[in-house]
Amino acid sequence: MAPKINGFGIMPEDTRICVVMVGLPARGKSYIAQRAQRYLKWLSIPAATFNVGSYRRENAPHPSASFFDTNNAEGERQRRAAADAAVSDMLAWFKNGGVVGILDATNSTKQRRKWVLERVAKEGIEVIFVESRCDDEELIMANIRDVKTSSPDYSGQDPEAAAQDFRDRIRNYEKVYKSINDDGDEDHLTYLKIMNVGRQVFINRIQDYLQSRVVYFLMNLHIRPRSIWLSRHGESMLNLEGRIGGDAKLSHRGQEYAEKLPELVLQSVGSDRPLTVWTSTLQRTIATAKHLPKHYNQLQWKALDELDAGVCDGMTYQEIADQYPEDFQARDEDKYNYRYRGGESYRDVVIRLEPIIMELERSEDILIISHQAVIRCIYAYFMQKTQEESPWVPVPLHTLMKLTPRAYGTELETYRANIKAVSTWRGKGSTAKHEDPAPEGGI
Amino acid sequence: MLTADDSPEAIAANTPRYRRKSSTFIDGIHDVPDDQRHDQRLAPGQLYSTMSGRLFHSGKIAIVMVGLPARGKTHICVSMARYLGWLGVKTRIFHLGDYRRASVEGGNVPQDYFYPNASSASVRLRKMILQKCRDDIYTWLENGGQVAIYDAVNPTASDRIALAKEFAENDVQTLFIESFVNDQDILRENARNVKISSPDFHGMDPDEAARRYLKRIETKIPVFETMEEKDLNYVKMINAGRAFYYNNVSFNYLSHRIVFYLTNLHIKLRTTFFVRAGPATDEDSFKADAGLSEEGEAYAKKMTEALLRHREQERKALVDQGGSNEPLRPLSVWTSTRLRTIQTAEPLKQMGYKVRQRSQMSQINPGVCEKMSERAIRALYPEEVSKHEEDPYHHRYPRAESYHDLAVRLEPIILELEREQNDLLIIAHESVLRVLYSYLMHCSTNDIPKLKFPRDEIIEIIPAAYQNEAKRIHIPGLDPRTIPGSPEDIRIPVPGEPNPQLPPIPGMSSPEPGEVVFTRPIEKIINKSKDMVSDKLEDED
Repeated sequence: MAPKINGFGIMPEDTRICVVMVGLPARGKSYIAQRAQRYLKWLSIPAATFNVGSYRRENAPHPSASFFDTNNAEGERQRRAAADAAVSDMLAWFKNGGVVGILDATNSTKQRRKWVLERVAKEGIEVIFVESRCDDEELIMANIRDVKTSSPDYSGQDPEAAAQDFRDRIRNYEKVYKSINDDGDEDHLTYLKIMNVGRQVFINRIQDYLQSRVVYFLMNLHIRPRSIWLSRHGESMLNLEGRIGGDAKLSHRGQEYAEKLPELVLQSVGSDRPLTVWTSTLQRTIATAKHLPKHYNQLQWKALDELDAGVCDGMTYQEIADQYPEDFQARDEDKYNYRYRGGESYRDVVIRLEPIIMELERSEDILIISHQAVIRCIYAYFMQKTQEESPWVPVPLHTLMKLTPRAYGTELETYRANIKAVSTWRGKGSTAKHEDPAPEGGI
Repeated sequence: MLTADDSPEAIAANTPRYRRKSSTFIDGIHDVPDDQRHDQRLAPGQLYSTMSGRLFHSGKIAIVMVGLPARGKTHICVSMARYLGWLGVKTRIFHLGDYRRASVEGGNVPQDYFYPNASSASVRLRKMILQKCRDDIYTWLENGGQVAIYDAVNPTASDRIALAKEFAENDVQTLFIESFVNDQDILRENARNVKISSPDFHGMDPDEAARRYLKRIETKIPVFETMEEKDLNYVKMINAGRAFYYNNVSFNYLSHRIVFYLTNLHIKLRTTFFVRAGPATDEDSFKADAGLSEEGEAYAKKMTEALLRHREQERKALVDQGGSNEPLRPLSVWTSTRLRTIQTAEPLKQMGYKVRQRSQMSQINPGVCEKMSERAIRALYPEEVSKHEEDPYHHRYPRAESYHDLAVRLEPIILELEREQNDLLIIAHESVLRVLYSYLMHCSTNDIPKLKFPRDEIIEIIPAAYQNEAKRIHIPGLDPRTIPGSPEDIRIPVPGEPNPQLPPIPGMSSPEPGEVVFTRPIEKIINKSKDMVSDKLEDED
């Protein structure tokens, strides 16, 4: 996205930030980097991650632990070259309109941090260091298990040997690792130090609003393993008629889904570990959650209510096309930004969902029962869908989704209740009451 | 020592915040709504609402301040309450000092009041005052309040642990916020700002007064332990926001949001000015984004002159009163990305002032009302007009933005407003000024759509620790036709001020001219917060 320039040739927003990750391997750095990027992009802020490891892998795809020994001159040279290439690409990306660039590497020495700061600050870009420190062995091991199964460095290798090698690699880093400002001579840096997964946090010299916003998001992140379950409400009476919005009761089949949901959830969770259930304030989501176990805590959120269709609330797509033909067309042209008369756009929904996303990032196991547009926005956040794609993602009724955020992406599993329901998906230009999604459709 | 009636009601009746009547010219931050359970009027930026009236499912929260006097605690409390109220969180501040003053004649507590080994009479007095304050906190939280900010010194770890335990037993979560300052420059500056008009230090060199004052605190409160309690939720704000440390045992969303806000807050005092953009060549079109007309350019020059003259006069007045002869604080200028606001800032820019454009500050989107007269809107959308009149703050015309939408969009600006350290001039459309003004002066959402910013006035908001102060500065010599209402405003009818006549000059229509008087000898008016808080100057809590 090119920066906006008005008649006077001045960029309205000139802040550009480079987030430099700091910390030993298996401290959740890549995970933090990836989440921050996803969050910013979801809010329409151009963001990208530059992972030094992936540059290094071009020359050394499956290095052993000795590669990371500081006494290994060749290893050291290759890692330096990788860092240099990553920083160069990042600076080029900033020149093309990037706003928040994330440099994902260990950056574990003072010299390395100084080198990054000098190169980046020279281009007029602000630098904020984000360090993740952790002494909790159990958490580190959980991260090691996660990384060794999903990191490209160990693809196709024996898991036990991989874990051992990874621990050795960490030991090599520990030899030279210096936490930010431990010697008291890095107090001039802007930094965020997250200790033990956010139990203690130190924030130093935040320079501007965008930095504070990034810090705010990172403070809400945790790296404990967890999953999020998403479901739409059961089929409603208005769904049957092909009408949008409203506050209708469940259909017979919708009630069947509500009765089946506890079984589906149990199958997916695999134990009777309780989930926290979030519904909207509309009766069809509350009724869908009705049969879930009593020891599940349930909360209603106004922010999870369906996209407000304004004057079109309760209409069929045919009626909208007849009564508001211009609107109908305008919506198809830019569905993300189109705002119903007296109602909302997808962009509006994303803005009101921000506290929900923040709360989701803080929480552990959550089951959300909400509506098509809202689920699409939450899905887009976790699965990194663009603004062009997200309003068109098929989210079928009577289907439970399980999202598990991992260091290198979000895993998706779906569980179908096998209870018939109408399709509420609609293709571009169509006014059909019930239409089957395109075959390549998402979920 | 005690007054005859020391019931909580009597104390409440004697505390300053209960006495005032709300007015949009007076900072409403200390107003207590009559019916707080259902009162949403003071939540311009509320994102959503819940059945319980408590947001973010965060339950009841006590924010407990920690820190010696002159550490900016009151400023932090008041700012936080302003922001939380804006978000729709029902927040109230309980200054322990108010209770002490209400309980003890003249607020003069015994010498050993803060001593760890105080006499039993002093301990009893302290306990009683604390109990009254806490009773009020519980009563308020039980009646629909969500956040109680408890403003006191809270100097010892053992008392803090006991306090958190007591709150937990009453189903209230506790978040401690300590303002920790070891930078001597900041301490001196704070002491000077707070104590400069205290009679004890009258005629004394300000630095000497500050030094004595800090010394007095040390004698009066000999024991202070900075927070290190591992089992408590706390935020330590170090040297006025240069660094933060927090210990998170069980932070909720709101706690993080507060930290986010605090990272943007500073405790230096600075002034915000609001002015309108000058009239443009094509007043009626929202989409055209026209530049300034000839009158508009004349306006920009006169406004600039009036503003700079005013700043110079203020400085001179301060020097004459015995203040220090420091140069003026730098002035930053923010405009929207609309051409007329940018061009209004042009004379200042040419003089070397830093001008920033903020895209979020563009005016309220008029939607279908663009280019329509009020009469036409009434004829075409009678239902929308009646809905609008019912709730002008939240109602949204087809394809338009409501004031509420605008407030949500302006939230980043509000945080940056808190962050700015220079004096700040905001040149924007009247709709944007209304919302920003309402944040700084804590206005009701009922009043926001009706706030007036005639072109011949510069609004100056002067922050003080306890509450903000608004002044209006007259811009002399303007063409009267450019002054009224909101010429480039959308013609959204404002309830209670119908305007059946069409305006006399094309492009100068306004929803609310009615009562404009062109020849007013306005200089400055409104409220002087110093008078309101004169009894606080001696307060050392």
